[in-house]
Amino acid sequence: MSSILRSDPGRSVPAGAGIGLRSAHHDALVRERPAVGWIEAHTENYFHDGGPQVRALERAREFYPLSLHGVGLGLGSVDEIDRSHLARVRRAVDRFSPALISEHACWGSSGGKHFNDLLPLPYTDESVRHLARRIKVVQQELGRQILIENLSCYLSFRSSRLTEWEFLGAVVTESGCGLLLDVNNAYVNSVNVGLDARTFIDRIPVGSVQEIHLAGHARRVVGERELLLDDHGSTVSQPVWQLYEHAIRRHGAVPTLIEWDTDIPALSVLVGEADRAQRLLETVHGLAA
Amino acid sequence: MASLRELQSRFAAALHGQPAELFEEIQGDGIDPAGRLQIYRNNARAMFEGALERTYPVLRQRVGDDYFRQLANSYRERHPSRNGDLHWVGRDFPAFVAATEADTGYAWLADLAALEWACEISLNAASEPPFGVESLAAIPGESIAGTKLKLQPSLVCVSSPFPILDVWQANQPGASGAAVDLDRGAQHVLIACGPEGLGLHAVENNAFEFIRALQEGASLGAAVDNSGLPLDELPGVLGTIFRAGLVTGVVAGTETE
Repeated sequence: MSSILRSDPGRSVPAGAGIGLRSAHHDALVRERPAVGWIEAHTENYFHDGGPQVRALERAREFYPLSLHGVGLGLGSVDEIDRSHLARVRRAVDRFSPALISEHACWGSSGGKHFNDLLPLPYTDESVRHLARRIKVVQQELGRQILIENLSCYLSFRSSRLTEWEFLGAVVTESGCGLLLDVNNAYVNSVNVGLDARTFIDRIPVGSVQEIHLAGHARRVVGERELLLDDHGSTVSQPVWQLYEHAIRRHGAVPTLIEWDTDIPALSVLVGEADRAQRLLETVHGLAA
Repeated sequence: MASLRELQSRFAAALHGQPAELFEEIQGDGIDPAGRLQIYRNNARAMFEGALERTYPVLRQRVGDDYFRQLANSYRERHPSRNGDLHWVGRDFPAFVAATEADTGYAWLADLAALEWACEISLNAASEPPFGVESLAAIPGESIAGTKLKLQPSLVCVSSPFPILDVWQANQPGASGAAVDLDRGAQHVLIACGPEGLGLHAVENNAFEFIRALQEGASLGAAVDNSGLPLDELPGVLGTIFRAGLVTGVVAGTETE
């Protein structure tokens, strides 16, 4: 286990529901100050020296605890880790003092070409070692633990020798990271690559899950079958709410985020989804509103 | 079994249109691996195109969705993303458009792209507290020529033989979108971003060259000499850039400068 533990220089994220901050809601969030527990922002959107985006997050940060969620480090890439990108992550962390920092169990570039997408890894011992080594580099650079999110997948590899939960459990053990459990991704994978989502939720290490993501998905017919696209463009589906309830019974009252990235609706719609997650947390764990 | 390096290399080749070697690595489970892979190919293209669309909305409006998509695809083949941060994928687009549209009647599109890229740079630059014009008044007359002004980091200067600011303004949300007479002449544009957001202003050529010289570190005297700015226009230009909040530092010169 790494010696880097849960340092938390910012206000901590409460064990309640929050929303992903998107630029379409910058003004509305500060104007309306909805009663959500916390916000999450995509780290790469706030890399710049200044400008309206950065100012908007600085303002929002005054009112809400913050999580920074990275999409660009490509931790599982065999390419050398991009030190300048990592330095920018560190600068954003120093600037905004997030309570939580997260990235993905994915790769994103090969031979210097980036796909700016979250690409799947084979679940092998080699992938565990590689990903864990890179997570440790990031944790060393930031001086604190990060959370790693399970990926949504449209394919799986014949070479995988581990289940997804064995893979993530081994990464946690080897790197000392925590987990960001994306319940929608687990559901999407159950349809797309046959993951047993309940078993997945049951078997990832209890105590490692420090954040949950919820989002909507779309349906797409491919050949004779239907696949689910993790497009974050609609409300959370009923099966995902059921899995979420299962997840918080298993992993406790974990900070839960509503993500929405395409066809972004009015802020009140996200807040409505966050309210629903909050009510479930209160029902299952008897939390005060 | 392919190593992680080999697998990622094959996946990358597949995303670029050479999928054969990857197919044998994919668990089909009743779906053609090509169909599964196509989702990733679509995603990668959509991410790239989306970033270009956000940076170049006016260019897209002028050329139409189909041609913009065609340009984006060709650009992506020549200039794939080299960064995990998507904001930078559009950096070489103005030069690419210039090469693509050279010798056509659409060379002005490259200058429009340059203006939109300048907006992107300006929008994300630091903002420093502005100095008032009184900071200049405090400097002894004999030191003025050697004095240097520090300008806002968000200031970007773009010049074109075409009226690109007029085109840009005509295609903003709520504007008419009316065609602009491209023979109307050159425009020299200052772009800066302050608390109120992005501001774009056309200035005369001499004033533009004067401000650009200041930005590059020239003293007031040298900037006047290099730009050919008539001395009687100097107070007006200085007043304009101070009032616009573009000056963030005044370093008094010495008599010997």
